[in-house]
Amino acid sequence: MHESDLSPADDPGTGKMPTPLPGLPAAGWIAWFSLREMARRKRLVSLGLINLLPVLVVLAVRLWFADRGITAHLQLAGLTHDTFIPFLIPIVAMAVGVSAIGEQIEEGTIVYTWTRPVRRWTIYLGRLLAAQGVAGGLLSLSLVLCFLVMVAGRPGVISWDFLKLYLQTFVIIILGTLTYTALFAAMGTFFKKPVLPALLFAFGWEKLVAGIPARVQELSLQFHLQNLVSRPQSVPEDLPGMLAAILNTAMHREPVPTWQSALVLVLVAAAATVLGVWLLRNKEIEK
Amino acid sequence: MTTGTAAAGPVARITAERVGKWFGEVIAVNNCSLSVGAGVVGLLGANGAGKSTLFKMLAGLIEPSHGQVRVLGARLRDQVGWYRRVGFCPESDALPEWMTGREYLSLMLRLMGFDRAETATRVARWLERFELTAAGDRRLGGYSKGMRQKLKLAQALAHEPEVVFLDEPLNGMDPVSRRAAIDLVRKLGEEGRTVLVSSHILPEVEAMTDRIILIDRGRVLAEGAVAEIRDKIPEHPTTVALVSPAARALAAFLIGHEYVTGVRIEDRQRVVVHTDHAVAFYRALPGWVLENNLQVDEILTLDDNLEAVFQYLTER
Repeated sequence: MHESDLSPADDPGTGKMPTPLPGLPAAGWIAWFSLREMARRKRLVSLGLINLLPVLVVLAVRLWFADRGITAHLQLAGLTHDTFIPFLIPIVAMAVGVSAIGEQIEEGTIVYTWTRPVRRWTIYLGRLLAAQGVAGGLLSLSLVLCFLVMVAGRPGVISWDFLKLYLQTFVIIILGTLTYTALFAAMGTFFKKPVLPALLFAFGWEKLVAGIPARVQELSLQFHLQNLVSRPQSVPEDLPGMLAAILNTAMHREPVPTWQSALVLVLVAAAATVLGVWLLRNKEIEK
Repeated sequence: MTTGTAAAGPVARITAERVGKWFGEVIAVNNCSLSVGAGVVGLLGANGAGKSTLFKMLAGLIEPSHGQVRVLGARLRDQVGWYRRVGFCPESDALPEWMTGREYLSLMLRLMGFDRAETATRVARWLERFELTAAGDRRLGGYSKGMRQKLKLAQALAHEPEVVFLDEPLNGMDPVSRRAAIDLVRKLGEEGRTVLVSSHILPEVEAMTDRIILIDRGRVLAEGAVAEIRDKIPEHPTTVALVSPAARALAAFLIGHEYVTGVRIEDRQRVVVHTDHAVAFYRALPGWVLENNLQVDEILTLDDNLEAVFQYLTER
C-alpha cells in the first residue's frame, strides 16, 4: 500500500475503489496469529492431560497384559475405535472449536480484524484453520506417544501392516478432528453459549443415533469414523466379546463403503465451514 | 429526529439516513439522520444514549434495522475494501491479552496491506507517538487501562485513514496523555480527515471540537456548532452577566421583569440574570436599556457551553 492510497483528499466518488486483501494471505496471517493465541490457552494443559489417557492405556497393556496376546495392531485399532473416535476427538474438537470464533465475538476482540480490509471468510477460515491445527496437533501428539510406547524396544512390532494401520489411523483421526472442529466452530459462531449445545450434540445426539439400529446410525459422525477403521477380525472367545458380537448383529451395524463414509465426513466439514462463514457474515458485533 | 448537514464539511463522508436499530423490543437508535464532512465532530450523549450503537452501525459492525449508512459512499459491511480508508477505535477494552503491543500493532497493519518494512516503520512511529515504545514488547495483559486506550487509538490511526471513528477514546487516560490525544484529534481534523468522536464527558468534546451531534435515548436531538444549536432553541434557560456601573439600579429594574427568573449582583458591577426565555430576553434588553436610561457596558453569556446545551436538550 502506498501513502497516496490514503490521501485524505480523496472524497467519495473520486477515490478508486479499494480492494480487500487477497484472501489466502490474509487467512494465513489470521491463522498464524490465532494459532499462537490458541496454543497459549490454559485449557490446553487439561486437554493435553486428557490426551495422555490412550498413552497410559497402551503403557498399562504393555506392562501388565503383555502375555495376553493383545498385539500392537489390535491395540491401535481398539484405541482408535473405542477411545479416540467416540471420546477424545469430540472432546478436543469441542474445547477448541466452539471458542475459535465465538470467543472472539463474545469478548469483542473480533472488532479489530472485522475493521480491516479482509473478507469475512478469511477471518473465519483463518480462525478455523488455527483451531483445527491445535486440535489435530494435540491428538496427533497423543497418537505419536502411543506409537512410541508400543514399539519402544520391540522392533519386531514395526511391520508394513502395522505402519499402514498407523498411517490410516492418523488420517482418520485428522479427518475426524477437521470435521468435528468445523462443526463446533459453526456452533460457536451461532450460539452465544455454545458449550451445552455442543455437549448435547457430541454426547447426546452422536451416542443416541449411533446406538439406533439400521441406517439411522449413519446420521452420526462417529459411525462414519468408526466405519473407516479396519479392525482385525478376532473371534470372540470370552462372554463380553460374544455379547458384543451378538449386539452388533442385532443392531445391524453393517458397514457402508469406506469412500461413502469419507465423503460424508468431508461434506459435513465443508458444509459446516460454509455455514459458519455465512453466520459470521451476518453476525452483529455488539461488544 | 434532526436532519441536517450542519456538521458536514464540503463533502459528506459519513451519512446516515433515517437509521434505526432495535434489540428485541428495545430501541437503541431511532430514526437518526446525519451527515459529516471533513473535520472533527463530537457525538455527545449520556451513557446508554445510543452513541455506541450508532457508531457500530456506521462502522459496519451491526446492521441497521432500517435506514442506511454510508462511509465514503460505501456500505462498509459489504464493501470491506473501504476499511483501508477507515479507522475504528471501539469503546470496549478487550484486546488479545497474550500479544505484545508491538505484535498487535504489526498484525493490524499487516492486515491493512502494508509490507513488513513499512509495518515496522509505522509500528515504531506510533508506539513512540503514544509513549509506548518501552512497553511495546510487553504482553497486553499487563497494560494499564490508559496504555490499552493508547494502543487502541494507535491501531485506528496508524494506517492514516481518511475517516476515523473514536468511541470514548479518552477513557482511562492520564491528564497528560489526554491532552496529547485531544491535540492529535484536533490535528487530524485540521489535516482534512473526518473524525467522529463520541463521549459522554462534555469538556472532552468541547476541547476537541465545537461541532457536535447531540444524541439522547436513541434520537439525534441536534446537530451543528454549539452556538448554532443554541440558536435553534427558541426558548431555553440561560445565565447572562450584565456589566454596569449602576448595577444596583439595573438589578432593581430587572427583578420581576418578564423573562427574568432570578437576579443577583456580583463584584458590585456585575448583574447575573437567569432567564428561561433567552431569545426573547436578548431581543427585549436593548429596548429596556434605551427606554429606561439603564447603563450596560458589556453582556456576557455565562453558560454558552456544551454542558448547558446538553443539559437543556436532554432534560427537556
